[in-house]
Amino acid sequence: MLDKILFLLCLASALADERCMPDTPHGFQVRLSIKTALGDEAYVWNENEMFLFRASLAFAMRNHMNGQQFEVSNIIVCNETMRVSFWFIVTSPLDTSQLIDQENVEAAIRQSRNRINSAFLLTDKTLEFVDILPTLATLYTHPTPPWLIVFGVVMGAVGAGIIIMLVSSVVQKKRKTNGKPQDKDDDEETRVKTVENGDAHDGVHNMSFSEDERFTKM
Amino acid sequence: MEKDARPNWDSPMQFVLACVSYAVGLGNVWRFPYLCQMHGGGGFLIPYFIMLLVEGVPLFYMELAIGQKMRLGSIGAWTAISPYLGGVGLASVVTSLYLCLYYNIINAWSFWYLFHSFQSVLPWAVCPINANRTAPIEECERASPTQYFFYRETLNISSTIEENGGIHTGQALCFLLTWVITYLCVVRGVQSTGKVVYFTATFPYVVLFIYLIRGFTLHGAVNGVKYMFTPKMDQLANPTTWINAATQIFFSLGLGFGSLIAFSSYNQYNNNFERQAITVSLINSGTSIFASIVTFAIYGFKATINYENCLERTRILLLNTFNLAEDTINMDNVFEWIEKLNATYPEQFNEIANDTGNCDLEKELATAVEGPGLAFIVYSEAITNMPLSQLWSVLYFIMLLLLGVGSMLGNITAIITPLQDFKAASLFLAGLVCLFCLLLGLGFTTTSGNYWFTIFNDYGATFSLLFIVLIEVITVSYIYGIKRFEKDIEDMLGHRPNWYWKIMWVAISPLLLIVLFVFYIVNYIMGGTPTYQAWDKEEVSFKTDKQTNRLTEGQTYADRHLTPPRSVVE
Repeated sequence: MLDKILFLLCLASALADERCMPDTPHGFQVRLSIKTALGDEAYVWNENEMFLFRASLAFAMRNHMNGQQFEVSNIIVCNETMRVSFWFIVTSPLDTSQLIDQENVEAAIRQSRNRINSAFLLTDKTLEFVDILPTLATLYTHPTPPWLIVFGVVMGAVGAGIIIMLVSSVVQKKRKTNGKPQDKDDDEETRVKTVENGDAHDGVHNMSFSEDERFTKM
Repeated sequence: MEKDARPNWDSPMQFVLACVSYAVGLGNVWRFPYLCQMHGGGGFLIPYFIMLLVEGVPLFYMELAIGQKMRLGSIGAWTAISPYLGGVGLASVVTSLYLCLYYNIINAWSFWYLFHSFQSVLPWAVCPINANRTAPIEECERASPTQYFFYRETLNISSTIEENGGIHTGQALCFLLTWVITYLCVVRGVQSTGKVVYFTATFPYVVLFIYLIRGFTLHGAVNGVKYMFTPKMDQLANPTTWINAATQIFFSLGLGFGSLIAFSSYNQYNNNFERQAITVSLINSGTSIFASIVTFAIYGFKATINYENCLERTRILLLNTFNLAEDTINMDNVFEWIEKLNATYPEQFNEIANDTGNCDLEKELATAVEGPGLAFIVYSEAITNMPLSQLWSVLYFIMLLLLGVGSMLGNITAIITPLQDFKAASLFLAGLVCLFCLLLGLGFTTTSGNYWFTIFNDYGATFSLLFIVLIEVITVSYIYGIKRFEKDIEDMLGHRPNWYWKIMWVAISPLLLIVLFVFYIVNYIMGGTPTYQAWDKEEVSFKTDKQTNRLTEGQTYADRHLTPPRSVVE
């Protein structure tokens, strides 16, 4: 691991371009947090990964500036650290002494940010381009807010409850007013019945009387 | 069958559940845990239980006795006790009316949050993105997503109480829904209320139990519970502790509103209310303790999460500044590395020195919140960190709703019952009362509504209730006469009240109430011009000490935990 890093640093210094340095006005700093993103499945950062990075940046530049054939050699990287962070600058394919300005580089990266991220299995947060704000995905806005739907359901249920309550109280009242004249007729009939039978419905049942009846029946 | 027979509860169980549902309210969840934390954790239970025995249960018993004996609402009952003191009943009704005006807005908020829980991502979990799609909205970025959701999207709060914007339509709809439900529960009087309380009294316990299990299995919950229960006995020497315990018991049981008199007036004449009074008071206090265990488990979880996030941020900062490989610093050795780096690269470290080293678990645990802030901001933040947060959110807000509606039923009944005793009352009395409160309460759904809510909550009823109950207990003990009262109780229960009750009613409780009353007056006078905290969109933090003119009053958040008056939502 350590010798790989040393080799990388030597390689970087071999490719060193004096225009690429920290806080350069033409480039950006990149920071990768591979272990945070992938945990146990983290890959080791080596020169192949760096090659992929430079290639994907070249891809982004090609996409943004139509027609210009950016190559991997146009992406110059320096100041690589153990953090896995480094600076890069972009030279023009037509004239390597000319650097592409920051706005174009930024626009290119924003345009193809997703593709660059997925090449490394990282996200906007773990593959950080310092000072380039990510374009945040807006949350899905529903045509009808879902809370209104739930509200409608509950309100409908409650409204139905009220209507049921009012209707049932009206129906009960109607039954009472219909029931009263019927009850009066029933009372008269039972009174007539009691007179006919000679049985007293009101009053205490006379126990001794009933016992006598049984004896007499026998 | 008498057409004018007073309706009754179907069973004594309905009456007990109605009282439990009324007494166990939002204050048990959001006020008691705060008091426990401020006044020495487990040690606070001592003054709390002493006040319960000395003040809570005797006064509760007294109100139930009056209602059951007189079989009338508060106005009729007090007029029957003494014709000159019918005003006490009227005062109770007016206080209940004040409460009914503003209390339902809390239920409207609960509904709002409940309806918003049916989304794949809870709206208070993430900040919405601004128009440029470059960053979250600034106000949300500087505060937190939960605060932003509450103050901006739920309340759409203005920056001062003088700025009255329009009505928040969503709020108004939820408010309408709450009143419709309240109406539905009281439209048939005790017939409907008696059925509803089976649910409103029991389901919150189910949710609390589920949350207890969920809470204890959360990462870091034990920190919170340990913090709460370690007693700090020196707080017992502080008189504010005892005053707060007395106030909490007083407001938590809902004395003085006339609701207890109204509920017990529908009892059978020989109902054993003595046992029920003790049961309900104990259930109420037990629920407070139960709820605070759950709350502190949640606090511990939230504090631990915040602490670990802070450590993570510090770790990233160190890695980025000193360009170290990712796996050199992990969560356990952050502090060691801070010292190491400070020693080896002092100048570089100085640049970031302000942002490091301020992660403190104790400090996170010590942040105590009460009131709607606890229920709607702190709790919802904790919920966003739980797996399956939609489920927990729905459960939680249903519980808040049931607690709120249960208390609301008591207060509406306290208004309707005395009015129904006057035979001239119409069939639509319940509907009229609800409609009246709905229309006036729409003012709380405006952009400055939360400030008005705070005024009503702090000043609407606290003073009046103390005074009402003081007059009540003095009337019963001295004007009506304790001997007559004893006889009435013997008539209903079959035995005279114990010497303990008599001493409380005649001497101790009135004395305690006078002390509380004097304390409140002194506080009020010494408090100076009241101030309130306002949410300013530009500054996005609470502006303190905002002077107001004489028409508008409030109390600063900073002052609250030092001195009452206390909110009535107990």
